[in-house]
Amino acid sequence: MDRQKTTGTMSDADLAEVLSQVRAGDTDAWGDLYRQYAPAIFRFCRRLLPAREDAEDATTEIFMKVRQKLGTYDSSRPFTAWLYKVASNHCWDTLRRRRIRQDLETGDLDTLPLEHPDPSQLERLQAEHTSKEVRTGLARLPDRARMALVLRYYADMSYEEIADTLGVRRAFVGVLLLRARHQLRDALSESSDVNALRASAGGAP
Amino acid sequence: MNQSDGHFDEMTGLLYLEGQLDPGRASEVSAHLGSCAACSEIVHALEAEGVWLREALAAEDESIPASVIAAPERGTTHWGWIAAFGLGTGGAYTLWSGFVEPWYAQASQAGFTQGNLMTMLFFTGAFWKGWDAMRSLTEFMAVATLGTVAIWLLRKQWQRFTAIAFVMGALAVALAMPQQVAAADVEHGKPSYTLPAGQEVKTDLIVTADRTRIDGDVDGDLIAFSSSLIVNGHVKGDVIAFGAEVRLNGPVDGNVRVWGQSLNLDSTVGKNVMALTGASEFDEKSTVGGTLMMFSGNTELNGKIAGDILAYVGDLNIGGSLGHDVTVRAGRINIGPNAEIVGQTKYTGDHEPEVSPTAKLGSPIQFTLLKRGPTYSRPRYYWHQVMFWGASFVLGLVILLIAPGFFFDTEQMCKKVAPAIGFGALFLFATPVAALIVCATIVGLSVGIPVILFYGVALYAAKIFVGAWLGEKLLGAGVGIGPALGRLAIGLAILRILHMLPYAGFWFGLLTVMWGLGAMVLALHRRMSPAVAAAA
Repeated sequence: MDRQKTTGTMSDADLAEVLSQVRAGDTDAWGDLYRQYAPAIFRFCRRLLPAREDAEDATTEIFMKVRQKLGTYDSSRPFTAWLYKVASNHCWDTLRRRRIRQDLETGDLDTLPLEHPDPSQLERLQAEHTSKEVRTGLARLPDRARMALVLRYYADMSYEEIADTLGVRRAFVGVLLLRARHQLRDALSESSDVNALRASAGGAP
Repeated sequence: MNQSDGHFDEMTGLLYLEGQLDPGRASEVSAHLGSCAACSEIVHALEAEGVWLREALAAEDESIPASVIAAPERGTTHWGWIAAFGLGTGGAYTLWSGFVEPWYAQASQAGFTQGNLMTMLFFTGAFWKGWDAMRSLTEFMAVATLGTVAIWLLRKQWQRFTAIAFVMGALAVALAMPQQVAAADVEHGKPSYTLPAGQEVKTDLIVTADRTRIDGDVDGDLIAFSSSLIVNGHVKGDVIAFGAEVRLNGPVDGNVRVWGQSLNLDSTVGKNVMALTGASEFDEKSTVGGTLMMFSGNTELNGKIAGDILAYVGDLNIGGSLGHDVTVRAGRINIGPNAEIVGQTKYTGDHEPEVSPTAKLGSPIQFTLLKRGPTYSRPRYYWHQVMFWGASFVLGLVILLIAPGFFFDTEQMCKKVAPAIGFGALFLFATPVAALIVCATIVGLSVGIPVILFYGVALYAAKIFVGAWLGEKLLGAGVGIGPALGRLAIGLAILRILHMLPYAGFWFGLLTVMWGLGAMVLALHRRMSPAVAAAA
């Protein structure tokens, strides 16, 4: 999936025109740019930040930053990559500032051996959980694991971009993603178990 | 990467799926997957998990808040506009007071006494065809204005190429119109063109040829693009010539405008002469009924000129009769024994004028010695620097308003310092060579001259983009025209100061020109190949 799918269907030529107009101070063009990308950026924030209101505020703040920093955007690179870079930096700063969850940085968790996956268990997880449940499971992950998954599988960032955003070595990104997947599987398995327990408790006479 | 019992681990599988392994390792994994059902199953499960994650994250099953959907309020950039207006006014004033007004005053002194510059352009120029043509021009301007407004209103609905097609169409119509109005006779030499003696062209004659010879008469204007033009016949209108060598032996009733290597006049011109030439010679039999304006190399004036003379020339030898005032800026001036100047003579140059004792002068020559090089002790020098800054700023303002996209793209391209300077150096030297080669061909003259003109404009405009980039480095980036103008003003001022440095100033100037020129080339290349840019 490329970034285009997550941010609408404005063509490259149209986007270049709109960006030129925005740089020239055209407020209508700014409105067009905002309407085109704000929903995708809101969803991006929604997947990273704990509350809907946080995502709303973050979207507004990100676009304020975009407007201020548009002069630094190198137009030879894709605009969406730059936009998500601004957004991810903002969200990561927000999370770090709030310390909503204390991540284990590159400490013990990252060196723990991973259990070898069972393909049939993976298939079962995918079959049992809806998109909404996956996002709920994602919200329970440590910030950095969640950031890694969203940056990679929603914003379609490269390993280099993820490493740069999260302040880790590029070689560590793969480890981060794999551990994040494991953590998500665990979170979803736990919720499945809890649901099964509830079902069995509710079904018992 | 770990490997146990001949199988790859999960991490290797993930990196393989995400294209993060080096090609050799990826081949190994691929080969192993072909023969190992267990590893293949794991990799397929990871792949399916990746797709599942992407779908779950991309799902748009949550409503977007109204506060996000609504477009943001209009930003406030009042300070930027105020600064831009102030700087623009200042720049326009310095440009006008330092450049346009003195030139106009000098032109007025030299006898070009019409009401204003536009009057000079339309009413005494070679392009004046009478009130009918003026009405057509007015109508065209009105239609063009309406068209521009329409494009502006419809700009959001139109694709870029549609707009370009419209503009090119309008240009084609504009270019076609004067030919229809004038109903000119257009001739293409193969490779040369000759209008034989005894023949008469009853309308305007436009010629493009390697060599052009007009022995017959032209009952209209003669417009020639030719490396060599010789006119022996009678031209009842104007002569407008672009060519290496222009020789006028026959009478011209109208004006003569020449852009070329040399002009040789041996006949009568009813009205005015304007020449941009490498060298000019007006023979003893020559007569000019109106004024003479020259930007030329070495010049010989041995004929009669009824009106005023304004000349920026190399060495000037006057041997004829000049009926009015003479304003000259020249390397040397030599007034011969048979010369007669009825009016005043103002001469600015490097050397004292040489005047024959037998020459007849209406009044003593007013001589001003020209000083070369910067004179740091004179306030005038600094005023000129301010004036040059203002001129650059106003041009930058115009480019920013007319083509903001190109302006900002070029500014961005200045960040690619090495490629920009490299391409700039290449185009700095290659463009004039290419243009001259094109000019040497038969049809190329009409292409080569505009190329040289654009090249000149580009060289002058180069510092604007470097200045804008420099301003951004110092002031930071901001959105809108106001902040862009602020950055431009500061950047140009710094470049101007660097240019004032003794010795190093020239090299700073050269570097700036190459840098800005290269950035323009890169920006144009990007605009012309959007697919490449998108893929980059």
